[in-house]
Amino acid sequence: MVLQLIINGISLGAVYTLIAVGFAIVFTILRFSNFAHGGMISACAFIGYFFQRYVKPTPPFALTVIFTAVCGIILALAIDFFAYQRIRINKSPSIYYFLVSLTVAILIEQILIVFFGTNMYGYPAVFETQTMQIGSFRIKTMNLVILAVSLSLLFALMILLNKTKIGLAIRAVAIDPNTSRLMGINSNVVITTVFAIAGLLAGVSGVFIGMQYSVYPSLGPTMMLKGFIASVVGGMGSLGGAIIAALFLGLIEIISTYFLGATTTTIIMFAIMLGFLFIRPQGISGKFAEDKV
Amino acid sequence: MKNIYKFVVVLILMALVVGCTAPAPAPEPEPAKTEEPAPPAEDKPTEEVTEAPATEAPKEPIIIGSIQDLTGTASEAGKANAWGAEYAVKVINEQGGINGRMLEIITLDCKNDLNEGINAYRKLVDEEKVSAIIGPPLSNPASGWVDLSEEDEMPIVGHFMDEVVTTNPETGEVYPYMFLVEPGCASQSDAMAKYALEDLKLTKFATLYNTGNAFAKAHAVPFMDYVREHGGEVVAEETFTWADTDYSAQALKIANAAPEAVFLSDYVVQATTAYDALRDAGFEGVILGANTLSLPFANLVKNPVHDVYFLQNYDMLNKDQPCYDLHQAYMEAQKSEYPKANTAFGWDAVHVLVDAMKKAADPTNGPEVRGLLEKTTELPICHGNITIDPATHRPNNLGMFIADYDENNQIRILKYVLP
Repeated sequence: MVLQLIINGISLGAVYTLIAVGFAIVFTILRFSNFAHGGMISACAFIGYFFQRYVKPTPPFALTVIFTAVCGIILALAIDFFAYQRIRINKSPSIYYFLVSLTVAILIEQILIVFFGTNMYGYPAVFETQTMQIGSFRIKTMNLVILAVSLSLLFALMILLNKTKIGLAIRAVAIDPNTSRLMGINSNVVITTVFAIAGLLAGVSGVFIGMQYSVYPSLGPTMMLKGFIASVVGGMGSLGGAIIAALFLGLIEIISTYFLGATTTTIIMFAIMLGFLFIRPQGISGKFAEDKV
Repeated sequence: MKNIYKFVVVLILMALVVGCTAPAPAPEPEPAKTEEPAPPAEDKPTEEVTEAPATEAPKEPIIIGSIQDLTGTASEAGKANAWGAEYAVKVINEQGGINGRMLEIITLDCKNDLNEGINAYRKLVDEEKVSAIIGPPLSNPASGWVDLSEEDEMPIVGHFMDEVVTTNPETGEVYPYMFLVEPGCASQSDAMAKYALEDLKLTKFATLYNTGNAFAKAHAVPFMDYVREHGGEVVAEETFTWADTDYSAQALKIANAAPEAVFLSDYVVQATTAYDALRDAGFEGVILGANTLSLPFANLVKNPVHDVYFLQNYDMLNKDQPCYDLHQAYMEAQKSEYPKANTAFGWDAVHVLVDAMKKAADPTNGPEVRGLLEKTTELPICHGNITIDPATHRPNNLGMFIADYDENNQIRILKYVLP
């Protein structure tokens, strides 16, 4: 029983991981909580749905994921261009980023409502068997795929950040943007790259979360709440911390819901976040960004 | 010259006198008293005979409001509801309206929100001067009109199923101007529990519902009460909240409790997630549900649909049913692949209201229409012949259909059950 709960918890944590990392990577560089990420997830879920549903012949699932990821990148760059770039040029305070991100999140959701209503859309089933039975344990096929894709993407991201020049530049800008500029790093390229990565993660998250549940305009913002908690617990701006915290939260949520009930679990989740903010504001990773909003 | 001045002054005075005694511009339309005969033409002054006789003058239309969720979380249902109400008004007008007076309907959006609902209500009552309101199939916004409707003497007819919108939950007293024209949540749940116990011969049940959703709770609690009172057993009562997106822990707990059936009573978003979580957890028993498990539920779930029984207000695809044409008209007009019960909700609410208005001496008189709504007896609507209980302002003689899905995921009506 406990092992089954752990399997379910890790599966749920994998979903949160994709969201939390997309959220955290923007915070790493720009020091603000990009709530527009939730709107991007919803938009990408719709894009993936319509691509998978209406393109004939029906594209393979992997192609849908790649196409949506590309659309996610384009969307993220568009949001950066129209919403954030002016704030950067004007060197406006961080609170402006926060307000704009909230506005963009609401804007995307409302645009989706205008075009698609609040109706639900269901991805066609991708796998013939929804669950796999291994001994006495049941694992949802989609959860396994999400876990595998999440780990692969995060591994690739870690290599990008730690083993490439652009990764070095991202880390340098994250630590000290002014000095990085003096050292010849083009911060605009770095920021654009970061938004592209966040968009890619939003695209992949959108497809998987849409398949896992259903597609509707408030899907992303609903999921963002847990992603936000994970990034706070993990240490704002820490990718590694966000990953660990997301898996940890998934486990806590499943185990707590099983033994204490859903209502109590919600209290526990927020209590954990508050506890970290009070006792260890730097989060699990020990990394702390002072300018967080 | 002096005489000219005097003449001008006299003219002005005459003009003023005539101006003061001339008929004033027509005031806001008085409530039409259709029963009073118009005065004969010869009684009028000769200079006014050129006007058309009063009996031939077009009668003022009767304006009613319709408040529906057009953009909120339940807009899928709300839009169909609005369509049904407007279509009913069109048909009634084609048949002569209310005793010769045309009906006008003004539809506003409540966005499934209490405050938006109150704003829409105030606009309809204060600005549009409506005579009655067709309510939404949502209890949340409707609950805000309970006191307002009494203050304004404004009859409201709708499908707000939670009983607390029609009767005071503490005293049991009826709210005088609120009328429900379908069975309430408890009656519907009783019908499903009765079917499960008597027809499916099930005895062990579980529930999985959102504690924050009044609609879901108002179904789940009476369901469990009915089961316990009639010899059944509730082996698990699991819940979730609006913030939850994954119900696998609850589903696992239910599967371990080994019920024969699980009752789901949430909106379709949560119901599909709950269904998949239960099947993923290995539960292969019966799923019972509220009318939200109707289409598109079967098209949204990821697991195969089997052993799913749910409530239906109407047998929508049966050509022998009274509102078959209505559902076909909706599907045609909206290019919908399947009918929606809410279309008939709007239709039924308008017809119950119009029946009372037709019997009223003054169809715009709220207290009179309210009194006649209370006396609604065996009125044929899509749901059947409705009789409203004056003690509850809810129907006391309507049952519910029990349905399931066939192998093509099409709705199949199984039985009509009276709670």
